[in-house]
Amino acid sequence: MNKSSVSPRVVPIEAAELKAEEHESYLNLVWRKFRKSRIAIFGGLIVVALAVLAIYSDFFSPYDPVRLNMRYGYIPPHRVHFVDAEGKFHFRPFVYNWVQVLDENMFAHWVEDTNQKYEIQFFVQNWQYKFLGLFPGRLHLYGAADGGLIYLLGTDKFGRDIFGRCARAGRISLSMSLFGTFISVAVGSVLGVVSGYYGGRFDNLMQRFVEFVQSFPQLPLWMALAAVIPPTWDQMTVFIAMSVIFALLSWTLLAREVRGKVLALRETDFVLAAREMGASDARIIFYHLYPNTLSHTIVVLTLTIPSIILAESFLSFLGIGIQEPLVSWGVMMREAQTIQTLGFNLWIIAPVFFIFLAVLGFNFLGDGLRDAADPYTIV
Amino acid sequence: MDTDQNIILEVKNLKQYFPIYKALLQQLVGHIKAVDGVSFFVRENEVLGLVGESGCGKTTVGRSILRLYDPTDGEVWYRNRAGERINITRLSQKAMKPLRREMRMIFQDPFSSLNPRRTVKEIIGEPLIIHQVARGKAMEERVAELMTAVGLDPNYMERYPHEFSGGQRQRIGIARTLSLSPRLIIADEPVSALDVSVQAQVLNLLQQLKDDLGLSLIFIAHDVSVVEHVSDRIAVMYVGKIVELARTEELLWHPLHPYTEALVSAIPPADPDIHLERVTLGGEVPSPANPPSGCIFHPRCRFVRYLCSREEPVLREIKPGHFVSCHFATELTLRGIGGTA
Repeated sequence: MNKSSVSPRVVPIEAAELKAEEHESYLNLVWRKFRKSRIAIFGGLIVVALAVLAIYSDFFSPYDPVRLNMRYGYIPPHRVHFVDAEGKFHFRPFVYNWVQVLDENMFAHWVEDTNQKYEIQFFVQNWQYKFLGLFPGRLHLYGAADGGLIYLLGTDKFGRDIFGRCARAGRISLSMSLFGTFISVAVGSVLGVVSGYYGGRFDNLMQRFVEFVQSFPQLPLWMALAAVIPPTWDQMTVFIAMSVIFALLSWTLLAREVRGKVLALRETDFVLAAREMGASDARIIFYHLYPNTLSHTIVVLTLTIPSIILAESFLSFLGIGIQEPLVSWGVMMREAQTIQTLGFNLWIIAPVFFIFLAVLGFNFLGDGLRDAADPYTIV
Repeated sequence: MDTDQNIILEVKNLKQYFPIYKALLQQLVGHIKAVDGVSFFVRENEVLGLVGESGCGKTTVGRSILRLYDPTDGEVWYRNRAGERINITRLSQKAMKPLRREMRMIFQDPFSSLNPRRTVKEIIGEPLIIHQVARGKAMEERVAELMTAVGLDPNYMERYPHEFSGGQRQRIGIARTLSLSPRLIIADEPVSALDVSVQAQVLNLLQQLKDDLGLSLIFIAHDVSVVEHVSDRIAVMYVGKIVELARTEELLWHPLHPYTEALVSAIPPADPDIHLERVTLGGEVPSPANPPSGCIFHPRCRFVRYLCSREEPVLREIKPGHFVSCHFATELTLRGIGGTA
């Protein structure tokens, strides 16, 4: 009865028993789930659009965002028309020139001069720029014909095209938040994994330190640190310093989350199996535990970026941190500080919408990623 | 018995206690005596089954032997490839590492014992990397060899665990265990998480591998009918102690401990028309933090006498090769698997 008389032959698994469809890696699974969330795709598209706008900002702006044009200060946004004053439809869109007209109370109004019509041309040759600082180019997406003006979002006090400047400002705003997030995530995830894995006294001390950092008032600390940056530093160093300052307080969120995940993962069989086969602590931490915390890391990453965008905008708005000639969305907001300026020239508030779009886009993206990044959990 | 050249592993009075700390100030209030004085040996190319209900400490025994816990007391003697007897209980983890090539474990849960983020090739090949045996192409070839040995198509080595079924994942786990050509394998409930039909496949695979590779196996399970199929000898555990140890046939047909009798009577016979009277145990399994005095089984034993609650019995050899931990082992008439004594 004990020893079976059946010969212990092993039957190899038939190939058909394994999935017939294509081999699916973890990334495939995540992508498949991500695709189902429309909001996440929407957020992703916004982010991509802003990124493209920022990287190729010179291509998208018809005017040099740095050149001053005092003559064209505070021009309102040009309206794009397809139908002219006589009611005729044109295929090619055009804009009318703005002129200032004084009324009987000596108030100045902006009025469209229907006699001066400028067609919008696409892919025009205009001012020279250097793409990525290396390749010179003159091609721009659009421009006005016959020396006309086209300011899609109006101009600021110095006659600079706001649309072009917003596009250029995206570079600093997005890249600084990316860089700061990267530092924050790198520090937070490593500290979190190590703290969770070793536990005991070290973990205790680590968590008390995290709580200490979290109880710092953010804004005063940032202001103090930013004010300490010497004005003699070059732009690159200031950029790095500001990114580090933002990362200083935001790493704690990821550290906590990752530690929690590691505490759970520590007890799983595959970690035990790694110890059983003689894996070193370092190997278990970085080869086994760390990749399994990536889902949390990705989500926190996409949610930290908007918070740093907002923080940077706020500090720049107050005049701390980024200085001219560097431009970010926050720096552009500085001109919108008085009620008179804002009252007469409402368009200078345009950067707010870029900030809004960026934050919205990253938040949607992060939400979608949170659902997709853990394809194994059913909840 | 110590100098028997055939013995590959000898466990002497192994104890594994886990401290219990009470809330606020973390004071030590007691111990969970998961393993409380366990002794046995395993011969080369032999399968020793270790049975018992959940919580009896059998998994802990396996993990303590492999030094995944540091044993509280006792000795574990292992005879390595060169023939030296080493006490592995007191070795440092660093000294233990080369021995881990020869002593491996198969885990119970095929769904959590494989890292979901690593390919099958990386999982099976990891021991080769850690012990610097093979890399790159050589590792791939070895992994392909192992996959074929356990009945998997090597073409699937770039796949992830979630793309396999439970039985296949258990095979991956077995392949991982075999990667460094071990001599002793501790299989911790390797088939408990599988469907019955798949269980049979995996059991046959283990048996074949044992024969082909000359492995020694400690087979931990809670299902006696599974263990009886593969084991040469069986040890029965109850609340941290071994109550009976004998050759498989002897243990099933002529059990000498009342607990073994109850376990054996619970095995359903293959013929549905046969109705055997089951020996049911009253009472509850005691907590390993607070075991009963004297014989740990006495509160539930139907032959209990005064001596049983006073004095703890020792595991002694009643018949040749048949060990029992009971004061009255020679006097009891117990039913074996056939329904007769």
